[in-house]
Amino acid sequence: MSKVVSDACETCPLYNSAELKKLGVNVDNADFVVALAGNPNTGKSTVFNALTGLRQHTGNWPGKTVTRAEGGYNYHGKHVKLIDLPGTYSLLSTSTDEEVARNFILFGRPDVTVIAVDASRLERNLNLALQVLEITDKAVLCLNLMDEAKRHHVAIDARALSRRLGIPVVPASARNGEGIPELLETIHKVATGEIKCTPHRIKISSKQINQAIEDLNKKLLAKYPGLPNTRWIAMRLLDGDQHILDAIKNDEFQLAS
Amino acid sequence: MRNFTTISQIITSETDQAFWSLVIFLLVVLLAYFMMRLKVWRVIMTGQLRSHRAQIEDILKQLYHVEAGGKSVGIIDLSGALRISDKKMLNLIEEMVNMDLIQTRDEKIVLTEMGRDYALRIIRVHRLWEKYLSEKTGISKLEWHDRAEQKEHQLTREQTESLYEELGRPRFDPHGDPIPTAQGQVIEVKSVPLTGLRKGAVARIKHIEDEPEVVYKQIIAKKLHIGSQLKVIESDDRHVKFYSEGEEYTLPSIVACNISVLELSEEEIFEDSKVRLSSLDEGEKARILGISSECRGAARRRLMDLGFIKGTEIETEFNGPNKNPKAYKLRNTLIALRNDQADLILIEKEAI
Amino acid sequence: MNQDHSNDIIELASNLRWKVGENYHDRLTEGIYTDAAAITRDVEVRDGKAHFTFDRKLDQILTSKTFGFPIMVLILSIILWITIQGANYPSGMLATLLLENIYPFLKGVASSIGMPWWLDGFLIDGVYLALGWVIAVMLPPMAIFFPMFTLLEDFGYLPRVAFNMDNMFRKTGAHGKQALTMSMGWGCNAAGVVATRIIDSPRERLIAIITNNFSLCNGRWPTQILIATIFIGALVPPAFSGLMSTVSVIGIAMLGIAFMFLTSWLLSKTMLKGEVSTFALELPPYRPPRFWQTIYTSLIDRTLIVLWRAMVFAAPAGAVIWLSSNITVGDMTIANWMIEWMDEFGVFIGLNGVILLAYIVAIPANEIVLPTILMLTVANLNLIGVGAGDGVMFELDSEMETEAILRQGGWTLLTGINLMLFSLLHNPCSTTIYTIYKETKSWKWTAVASILPVIMGFVVCFLVAQIYRIVVG
Repeated sequence: MSKVVSDACETCPLYNSAELKKLGVNVDNADFVVALAGNPNTGKSTVFNALTGLRQHTGNWPGKTVTRAEGGYNYHGKHVKLIDLPGTYSLLSTSTDEEVARNFILFGRPDVTVIAVDASRLERNLNLALQVLEITDKAVLCLNLMDEAKRHHVAIDARALSRRLGIPVVPASARNGEGIPELLETIHKVATGEIKCTPHRIKISSKQINQAIEDLNKKLLAKYPGLPNTRWIAMRLLDGDQHILDAIKNDEFQLAS
Repeated sequence: MRNFTTISQIITSETDQAFWSLVIFLLVVLLAYFMMRLKVWRVIMTGQLRSHRAQIEDILKQLYHVEAGGKSVGIIDLSGALRISDKKMLNLIEEMVNMDLIQTRDEKIVLTEMGRDYALRIIRVHRLWEKYLSEKTGISKLEWHDRAEQKEHQLTREQTESLYEELGRPRFDPHGDPIPTAQGQVIEVKSVPLTGLRKGAVARIKHIEDEPEVVYKQIIAKKLHIGSQLKVIESDDRHVKFYSEGEEYTLPSIVACNISVLELSEEEIFEDSKVRLSSLDEGEKARILGISSECRGAARRRLMDLGFIKGTEIETEFNGPNKNPKAYKLRNTLIALRNDQADLILIEKEAI
Repeated sequence: MNQDHSNDIIELASNLRWKVGENYHDRLTEGIYTDAAAITRDVEVRDGKAHFTFDRKLDQILTSKTFGFPIMVLILSIILWITIQGANYPSGMLATLLLENIYPFLKGVASSIGMPWWLDGFLIDGVYLALGWVIAVMLPPMAIFFPMFTLLEDFGYLPRVAFNMDNMFRKTGAHGKQALTMSMGWGCNAAGVVATRIIDSPRERLIAIITNNFSLCNGRWPTQILIATIFIGALVPPAFSGLMSTVSVIGIAMLGIAFMFLTSWLLSKTMLKGEVSTFALELPPYRPPRFWQTIYTSLIDRTLIVLWRAMVFAAPAGAVIWLSSNITVGDMTIANWMIEWMDEFGVFIGLNGVILLAYIVAIPANEIVLPTILMLTVANLNLIGVGAGDGVMFELDSEMETEAILRQGGWTLLTGINLMLFSLLHNPCSTTIYTIYKETKSWKWTAVASILPVIMGFVVCFLVAQIYRIVVG
């Protein structure tokens, strides 16, 4: 689906620079923009620090980074801008942090979204990961806190997880720097298109709801061909998300051509 | 003449000056307190007493409710119920007849079609606003009714419709009453008062009447929730005794008749095992059956985001020093909830 | 054309929304979690026995009825003790360096290059002195307090404190985590306000922000201790005066907690009752903190940022203080005009014009309130031989000299008590006010947080003054 974009301009950056400027992110000289999402208290900020070499304070607290933090690094000659989004449990409610995170992924269209999850509490963390995968199809799952998981006797089959989610999965222990080189490499490969993602889609048991989402999705696709997340937009419209309604009214989903 | 002093002489002493300033201060505080208690502020801030239009609208609403109950009223009943003087009421009635909102028929007053539409629109705004307060604000449910009473006279048609859209075209208000559509249609609700149930009957609470306030407060204090299932254990002229979500309740009939219920058929089997999370003891395990419909808006969404989802296994990990909040383990995470939140989460305990 | 499309979509969405009904959100969330559970089942292997046993044992102790509170009080006392004791030496050294060595040196340089007196006064006596004071008093305690707090936070103990304390806070409509932002406020209110980010429920967060000022911050402790020693300690025989003044300072801090609860309760019953409340408290697993990195980041993140903000505000305040004492209008300086103008009201509520003016011009930092009071008193009385000149803040080495100046300024026991109360109950410093605005993005709540404590301060001082006058006569 993202083919439309790359056909339109093979060399242009994928991210939406006008929108990012509006969101307050300076993308001058950045070859790629990467967003970092994750539940609160999953060592997300530690991953951020490990990737950028910065030292942002990371607390053992749910909900530390409320405002966005930014950093950058160079990898294989490309300058990458990394944005640390606020930690949230979900993107479906309407709290301020969730809106910040959601808007960034939806309107900023980062080249890659890294989802940091706590390996010892995978199920809870996947709630957010699955929502992110509805919005963007370029994502990497960073299975963080592997050391802690081991201490608590939890083992995870990263390859099977990768198959189920349709995106690369990198086990890591950011505190000790383990898995960070692999993560850098994987981000690079997804950003350059070397790895293609086929993200998992949320299944809903109610036929009536599925039908409604499908109907709406069809209409959205007709208007915005090539937009990868029409299904998610449909889901949000059904939930009466005022922000998304306004975006439709103001035609904000039109891809820059 | 030594004892004769003027007031100004009394006040010149520093001690006395201190004394009098204290007295004045206390008087001001007392005055402010009583103005708060007697809701004088509200009267002042909402533009003295009810406006002329608000009175007309209140009369229409009252007539609608009376007619919906299959009864009819005269002028005296109306002025009594709405606390409007008889003389003023006569003028209002005359004006409303001229406006073609009502007709008088042998001493009785009835609504015209136009009057009925008008009344339904006011009720629509009232119930929508209660819905709004319950979903989007943290205002206590005891205040919903009073605030909606004010708001129903203030919203324009456009504001009402955009509120309706914003709330996702709701069909019921938080008390379980149907919200009339913009075209003036009302969904029929087949519910009966709790007092009308036989012993052994199983029903679901559909509606809790918020008027009169004294009775409503009693029901709220019992922590009964709309959507809860109940089973009648005993019912006589004075009391109704029933079982719901792991608790036993006894209500005087006069209170119980303000709760409307929908009797359930055989297929909708009563889940005796359905209890509240707050009753789960330290170390006990259970499965979540759902979140009560009394938990709304942002609070409900937050609980769901945290993983309080139907089918989830949950365990009370430790009670904490005060047994409120308690720490629960679900999906390998410890989450602390307060007891009033845990009251709204329904579970089924696992057999040990 | 496009617009039609958009309206089509919105209309269809509205219709469908009505059709799928109100439990759509529930179904959607359930769907996502069901998927998550199914995936997890396939990829995760749990050896069910051993995990989190250590955590649970620790929790049983830290949250137990018997040990929970004593452990908490003990840890907090130790932290406060280390902070107050440990900060004395570096504070003294910084003060010696900045105020006794560099200051005369700068004055010397200024006079040797022939700087005009007003520029020299404005820059060195005004701006530099205010900065020096703020750094000397503020930096050491914060540099000790915050890293220790941060270590506890990284270990995972603080959420347990919030859990233990929640019951008390719930009764006043607040969140258990407010116990932590309140403790943080004892270090610095601005840092305490930033720390309220950990409270994710909108109403409870606002309460925590507005009431943080009732935590007696580290810039106010020295004022409390000095005034208590001079006025309260003197009430009892010399052998007990140390104990008496300590008790009275702790009493003021406790009064602050009482006001915090009272205000929380009032706010949640009145102004804030319409705000949405979504309580949730996650208790994360315990994690061994990484010692050096924690110390480094908490110094950078909390201490230096707050210090920087304080300096930005203190510098112009120093200038204003100096200017107000050196610009003459008619036959008096601006400062004296203002003192005269406010004196009657000040005395009425048991304070005086000097104190009120000091709190107005020293709004950037509580640290410079006492030096400002001394300077203004001396300037106002035209005392010869004390102080360092008009508009130059100073402190005296001996308490007796300080007392002598204050007594000459007309201070009584009542003034002392009320200054202690007013130091607790007055507007937050401008650093904190600015931080509150940054955090709430609302002028309304910033105004409430700034004005409410002053009103309370006036009322309390007024009541105490009148009762004192009736009793003492």
